[in-house]
Amino acid sequence: MTPDLLIQSTIIGLSIGSIYILMALGLTLMFGMMHIINFAHGAIYMLGAFAIYYIFSQWGVPYFAAFVLAMLLLGTFGYLVERSIYRPIKGGIEPTLVALLALTTFLQAAGYPVFGQLDKHVPPVFQGTRNVLGVMISVERLMIIPMAGALVVGLYLFINKTKMGAAMRAIEQDKEAAALQGVNVHVVNGLAFAIGFALAAASGALMAPIFKLDPMMGEQPLLKAFIIIILGGLGSIPGAILGGLMLGLIDSIVATALGAEPAFLLSFVFIILLLLFKPTGLFGYAPP
Amino acid sequence: MVEERIRSQSESRRVSSALLLETHGLTRHFGGLAAVNRVDLRVAEGEIVGLIGPNGAGKTTCFNLLSGFIRPTAGTIRFDGEDITRLRPHQVVKRGLVRTFQLTTLFQELTGLENVLLGLHLHSRRSLGRALFSRRRFPPDEVARSREVLEFTGLASQADQLARNLPHGHQRVLGIAMALAARPRLLLLDEPVTGMNLDESGRVMALVKTIRDRGVTVLLVEHNMKAVMGTCERIVVLNFGQTLAEGSPAEVSTNAKVIEAYLGAGLAHARG
Amino acid sequence: MRRLRVGVLIVLVLLMLLVPQLGGDYYVHVFALVFTNVILAASLRPSLTCGQLNIGHSAFMSIGAYASALLAKNLAVPFEVSMLCGALVAAVVGLVIGYPSLRLRGVYFAMVTVAFVEVIRLIAQLWVPLTRGMSGLSGIPKPNLLGVTLATKASQYYLALFLMLLTLLILWKLESSRLGLIWKSIGMADNLAQSLGVNIANHKLLAFMLGCFFAGVAGAFYAHFIRFLFPPEFGFLMATNILVYNYVGGRGHFAGPIVGAAFLSLLSEPFRGSAYETIFFSIAMLLTILFLPGGLITLPGKLAELRWWKSASAHSPSPAA
Repeated sequence: MTPDLLIQSTIIGLSIGSIYILMALGLTLMFGMMHIINFAHGAIYMLGAFAIYYIFSQWGVPYFAAFVLAMLLLGTFGYLVERSIYRPIKGGIEPTLVALLALTTFLQAAGYPVFGQLDKHVPPVFQGTRNVLGVMISVERLMIIPMAGALVVGLYLFINKTKMGAAMRAIEQDKEAAALQGVNVHVVNGLAFAIGFALAAASGALMAPIFKLDPMMGEQPLLKAFIIIILGGLGSIPGAILGGLMLGLIDSIVATALGAEPAFLLSFVFIILLLLFKPTGLFGYAPP
Repeated sequence: MVEERIRSQSESRRVSSALLLETHGLTRHFGGLAAVNRVDLRVAEGEIVGLIGPNGAGKTTCFNLLSGFIRPTAGTIRFDGEDITRLRPHQVVKRGLVRTFQLTTLFQELTGLENVLLGLHLHSRRSLGRALFSRRRFPPDEVARSREVLEFTGLASQADQLARNLPHGHQRVLGIAMALAARPRLLLLDEPVTGMNLDESGRVMALVKTIRDRGVTVLLVEHNMKAVMGTCERIVVLNFGQTLAEGSPAEVSTNAKVIEAYLGAGLAHARG
Repeated sequence: MRRLRVGVLIVLVLLMLLVPQLGGDYYVHVFALVFTNVILAASLRPSLTCGQLNIGHSAFMSIGAYASALLAKNLAVPFEVSMLCGALVAAVVGLVIGYPSLRLRGVYFAMVTVAFVEVIRLIAQLWVPLTRGMSGLSGIPKPNLLGVTLATKASQYYLALFLMLLTLLILWKLESSRLGLIWKSIGMADNLAQSLGVNIANHKLLAFMLGCFFAGVAGAFYAHFIRFLFPPEFGFLMATNILVYNYVGGRGHFAGPIVGAAFLSLLSEPFRGSAYETIFFSIAMLLTILFLPGGLITLPGKLAELRWWKSASAHSPSPAA
């Protein structure tokens, strides 16, 4: 591998890593509060990409407005899922997981008749390439990094600086105690669903101009996000960020050398070994 | 009858010199907080020891450490001379140290008999071959043994009821029955009578004494002071994860530090 | 009651024996596949009973299918042996995946199994010299028993029926033994089970490996029955379908997955393989979880309760009278 190629795959790794981080953050946030894994995360990623396709490239709404609209739309959907699926199940973890699986297969399967099986493309939003450390990288890929970064910072500020964020942290620590202190657990859980879904939609929206769209496109990023949160330790936000960066780099560099599928197989073997020898994840995070 | 009781008590006194459980500097941190801090606990064979203290004093953490559900940050646990500090829960049970849980942790969808049969887990013969080719679900001797335990704890008539349909008091006793089926040498009871009325708690405490008279050592955590004072021969008081006082019920209830820390009104009530 | 149940079972088995005589090749084909689905659904049950959400069952079916097909095709191993080898390979792989992930809380295991489906699909897809990859593995010999090839669809149907009944018998014996009681206890309160001396990690692993073994059996039969294997078939969708059978049928009773698999596979038969099959399955699943949490097997009881309640309120004199 030449140095140029290494630089190029590092930068592409960083931009893929940012997408993975957005996916993993939503998952880990929802897990921390409700002890569930959102299996529908990949399907929401897919819906985020299709939302950009319709709102931006079909109806001609400016990209950033379309991006925000997609997040709002799917965030609302997340809130509705909390109300209509999570809340009626009353905290049963296993039935919730199964219901989310059913939601996933439903959204994927319904995608075929609704969106059609044609190869849909979103036209490029950012044109041209830019010289980074002597290597030409498409601006499209580069722009993912600051946009995802802004979302991560926004989420950090929201969780640590707002009243709602404090309520979320309280629930993560101890649900009963939070409820006793007057936190409306339902509303805050609904918010966590909304944030998780909106972040997944943002990931899909960012990737839409780069990949072809199809109803199954969310499956790969979902599995990657699973590997990341196992790597970083379930429920750990710093773990999700570091794990996401690591997997993005591994993915990009190993994939350039060996191909995308061997890179995935390798990362799976890696997490099995990790679970065998260090079950709490790379960063030793033990959930409360 | 009375003679027999006296004999069994003197027997238990005779062996009471043998130390059954001994912890040394037992410590467990959660985050930066020490939930249990350098606790030295000693339980001799044949004793009934009470572990008390205000909420958050570290009693439940202590139980979780002793039974292997969590690992200590520092310190050792010895049971009958053997170091069991690093053993997992099912291995601790094998040594004869069996615990119950707070509230009604039971196999709710199983019958009373099935619950107790599960208590016999360690003492049953089982194999895939037996499961596949035996015509009976359970060996008759195991069923008989379980019925004996139910009889002993006064639950014989509830054997075929689903655990979740039993009245609250009976559910708690069923928890003890399951632990007994595992043939403990040391029984850890976590709040056996909390939330019971006077009548029920009196019966359970009598049961605890009978259990001890049959040769099982008992360590119990309980908030009901009357029950603790009336049953335990020795009491250990925890506060902020540390041992505050230790001694007979009379000694503990007159200890100024203990009264200051938490007993106060509760103790006056218990004495009155 | 018990006698009635045994009677119904005997009639059902007799009816199943008569299917090739009464229906044509189409029904024989459909029912043989239903039997495979029943094996898959019932073999997932021990793991679910322990409270372990295995979302990767199709991967173990795939392993059994490929292992048995390749042994029979390349080495001319007889079906009985190749099927057993396929099932054993599936169980051993289950051990490798299950051992590290079953010691942690349930969701880790669930995530690992989902990822594992993709791993097996990729291996089947990429190991072209062995599996023919995306061209699909064809020319798999028909099943044979004691050296006699089962050439007709009807004879293969009876093989499927036999395998299903044998699997169900074994799983039923295990579930109603002490082992089954231990599985249930782990699912209900794993800390209590531990405190009674149950090694919960080992029992979860045993339940999981058992499931993998029988998924391997189902896969082996499928391979020699359809005689063509294609990697994406054993994907995420099939894995969730197997879960759906269990939930829609009902988790509380041994009959649940059997009823679920039979009911859903027969009902979705008109649109098998299309997107509408999945839509139908996922809606059935969501509706069951939200409105009939006990699954279809609790439906008769609920209806009876409703009727009893109605008649009781109709006949009882009103307080005012």
